[in-house]
Amino acid sequence: MSKHSALNTFGRSGNPAFTRNFTSNDSTLPISEKMTLDGAVNKTSILLALCFLGAGVGWNMPALAIPAGIIGFILAMVTIFRSPAKAGSTAPLYSLSQGVMLGAITMLAEAAYPGIAIQAIGLTFGILASLLFCYKSGIIKPTENFRLMIFSATAGIALLYLISFIMSFFGSSIGFIHSNGLMGIGFSAFVVGIAALNLVLDFDFIEEGAEKGMPKYMEWYGAFSLMVTLVWLYIEILHLLIKLNSRR
Amino acid sequence: MSWNTIIFGGMFILSLFIFINLSKVKASKKQLDRPDRINRFGDKKPEDDIKIIRGLDENK
Repeated sequence: MSKHSALNTFGRSGNPAFTRNFTSNDSTLPISEKMTLDGAVNKTSILLALCFLGAGVGWNMPALAIPAGIIGFILAMVTIFRSPAKAGSTAPLYSLSQGVMLGAITMLAEAAYPGIAIQAIGLTFGILASLLFCYKSGIIKPTENFRLMIFSATAGIALLYLISFIMSFFGSSIGFIHSNGLMGIGFSAFVVGIAALNLVLDFDFIEEGAEKGMPKYMEWYGAFSLMVTLVWLYIEILHLLIKLNSRR
Repeated sequence: MSWNTIIFGGMFILSLFIFINLSKVKASKKQLDRPDRINRFGDKKPEDDIKIIRGLDENK
């Protein structure tokens, strides 16, 4: 039991992909069946490649954005709540479908504000590399309190988005989420910050899983979790850039 | 090619290169040897058991 009662109730990670309990490492597993850092990185590279492939399709066929987004959401839910062990088959499909959705969204944003796509991609990967360096060097140290803080903020943002989504059916919305005023830009910057800090928890998950010799499928699960956070971070950065560009 | 594409495109390629190479490197001791690390999988490292055994031995 944790000293934080909220952790006992809601799980122990900011990223919903990490709230499941996993069986501890099995020392009887042969080395070739254990999770490694190299394996997780290779799988992340495969997922990134699939995402870019999907983005190419989505860019040329923007009508696929909504179906691809729904398929991606269903695949993410199945991977997180039903079968993490099958992440090897669901994660590539998730990346492909999310890539299609992101490609379509990016094409529409680029049509409205030329040059915004490369800015969003550059900033997303810039943040990814910077935070990886900060994590590996020990500048940012994820602790139980850090995780609780990120989890609370992530859950709060998810709840706010859900309320805003429900309100949209009644012709209303929470104004500042989509406004390009100072409040709206500040909110988007905060969400980008929280999404970025979720990356640190993803890195720590992969590092710990490899260190403790978790089963091989956890490489796919760790890579999938990183992709979930990256997709979120990219969408939020694009959202922030759209708000900033619309003020000109 | 605009400066926007060169700067952010360069940032993307450089960051991707750093990510792929740095990810494969084990985190620093400063990061890994902390008492307040998150323990997701509920396991102790084999070295922890050795320390406990040594501790008992010293009390004898």
